[in-house]
Amino acid sequence: MKVVYCGGCNPQIDREALAAGLPVDDPAVPEGSTVHLSGCPRACASGHRLVVEEGEQAGAGAGGASAGQDGPPVVVVAGELVDGVQTPSPELAQTVTRKLKE
Amino acid sequence: MALKTPEEFVRSLADLHLQIYLFGEKIDDYVNHPLIRPSINCIATTYELAALPEYEDLMLATSHLTGKKVNRFAHIHQSTEDLSKKVKMQRLLGQKTGSCFQRCVGMDAINALYSVTWELDQARGTDYHERFKKYVQYLQDEDLVADGAMTDPKGDRSLPPHKQPEPDVYVHVVEKRDDGIVVRGAKAHQTGACNSHEIIVMPTVAMREGDEDFAVSFSCPANAEGVYYIYGRQSCDTRKFEDSDLDVGNVRYGGQEALMVFDDVFVPWERVYMCGEIEFSGALVERFAGFHRQSYGGCKVGVGDVLIGAAALAAEYNGAARASHIKDKLIEMTHLNETLFSCGLACSYEGVRMPAGNYQIDLLLANVCKQNVTRFPYEIARLAEDIAGGLMVTMPSAQDLADEKIGPIVEKFLVGTCDAPTIDRMRVLRLIENLTIGAGAVGYRTESMHGAGSPQAQRIMIARQSNLDHKKELAKAIAQVGKPWDKARVKEPTAVAR
Ligand SMILES: Cc1cc2nc3c(=O)[nH]c(=O)nc-3n(C[C@H](O)[C@H](O)[C@H](O)COP(=O)(O)OP(=O)(O)OC[C@H]3O[C@@H](n4cnc5c(N)ncnc54)[C@H](O)[C@@H]3O)c2cc1C
Repeated sequence: MKVVYCGGCNPQIDREALAAGLPVDDPAVPEGSTVHLSGCPRACASGHRLVVEEGEQAGAGAGGASAGQDGPPVVVVAGELVDGVQTPSPELAQTVTRKLKE
Repeated sequence: MALKTPEEFVRSLADLHLQIYLFGEKIDDYVNHPLIRPSINCIATTYELAALPEYEDLMLATSHLTGKKVNRFAHIHQSTEDLSKKVKMQRLLGQKTGSCFQRCVGMDAINALYSVTWELDQARGTDYHERFKKYVQYLQDEDLVADGAMTDPKGDRSLPPHKQPEPDVYVHVVEKRDDGIVVRGAKAHQTGACNSHEIIVMPTVAMREGDEDFAVSFSCPANAEGVYYIYGRQSCDTRKFEDSDLDVGNVRYGGQEALMVFDDVFVPWERVYMCGEIEFSGALVERFAGFHRQSYGGCKVGVGDVLIGAAALAAEYNGAARASHIKDKLIEMTHLNETLFSCGLACSYEGVRMPAGNYQIDLLLANVCKQNVTRFPYEIARLAEDIAGGLMVTMPSAQDLADEKIGPIVEKFLVGTCDAPTIDRMRVLRLIENLTIGAGAVGYRTESMHGAGSPQAQRIMIARQSNLDHKKELAKAIAQVGKPWDKARVKEPTAVAR
């Protein structure tokens, strides 16, 4: 699983703590999954997109990942938004984990 | 259908036979009414520029619904470039009209509703978004003007809608039928309402339990049965009756606001985009206000350009242009104006693509933009009045200037530098009067204060997004707050000095 970070200029969430709470070695998470992890709703890690659509390349440079129907999941965290849905900080890791395993 | 020409727009407006009241009378020929026509000319300019290749890049956009070129005012923003072009288009139109050109509220309404209806459908399994997309396509295909109607009269501000002694001070549903809803109430301060083909209604505050009937969003034709308008007065408005191109200050263009009344108006379901879903009303208000707060970083800047230009001319005409304090005041006006533009662009460039697919401005920066707009135009106006001198408010009338006996006297005493005709000096001073305390000040000053929300509304939004905890952590880290303090490391003062 890959975590793509934004630059971290104005984080509203603790990005490092969230990354540490993600199921990096969990076999239930499909290989090649990506989490775009932005500290605020400007969503720089995913190229200013709150959701990465199917077949779309997101994120800056080589860090980007493309979402596909059959491909590994791509989840966007932007502050307290997960794929555009308001999610309180304490529930972020658990919500992202659920989405990765879905 | 192709894009409308300005003439087709005016004809289509006349064909609506809107119910407009002004000075206690119903106005039938409103498109030729001297008080109303300047505001119609403003919107006509949004059609005129759209047809000119030199403005097309800003005025037109490619519809994501049809792939066709549409007027940007009916476009759903598809990128941060679209967001910034919107602001630039608004600056351009402010420059061309020196006025509020009224077509922004509808654009901001469709863009806010686009993502909110999508999210509402996701949460509730409704089909508002599909209905709404069809409606947007209709606006684009027919090249129509829509009024964005958010502000209710609101009665007692300390009470929620459902507790108002007079419930009609908030637009609300009075009947639900199989084929649609019946609504009653009014919307206040409606910019360009009498120049619109369509009305888009949204709730004005975040609704709470008990307010379900007031959490309503819909669109209807501006001439729907039961809709009528009471035209708003503006400062110095009756000068427009004097048939003088001098004393009005801006003879061709002007703004317009009206009280819009819904007297049991029927709205079919396909035109309803929210009905009782209180939990989505706050997001709609926030997003519309966000887009509209961005807008002011364009339109007010364009009008500011005109006012700065007028102040510079006034200084040239009275021979003071080379004075260092005049130059400095013009620099300050420009600095303030460009700061507003920077804010409008910043919130555009930092915009994000919503799950619905459209682009939303950065809300914090848009609120900062509007907060500055509640202040800077006032300072720009103050400096313009300083540079203009007292004549802008004490000048004799056009009739005096035209009088055989008095005219030459006025001409002689109001002369400035010899190479500037007195009439031009008077024209420029009247324009400054128009924008700072006359009819144009409605758009340039008070609308800057209250339009898109009074200053406190932005401060609440700024507070909510200020990320203060992060800032405190930054300060703590630099100041080493919480680190054990080693008293023994403190040196004697003499040792420090050495
Ligand atoms: C020129 C102009 C054009 C406009 N165009 C449009 C338009 O096209 N469409 C549209 O929908 N709206 C439009 N507006 C309306 C604008 O959004 C409102 O003026 C604004 O939201 C303030 O509302 P209000 O005028 O009712 O003022 P009020 O609500 O009466 O506010 C007056 C003061 O009271 C304070 N206040 C109000 N309520 C409370 C409260 N509960 N607690 C504490 N303080 C409070 C405010 O902060 C403010 O300082 C326009 C306004 C202007 C002036």
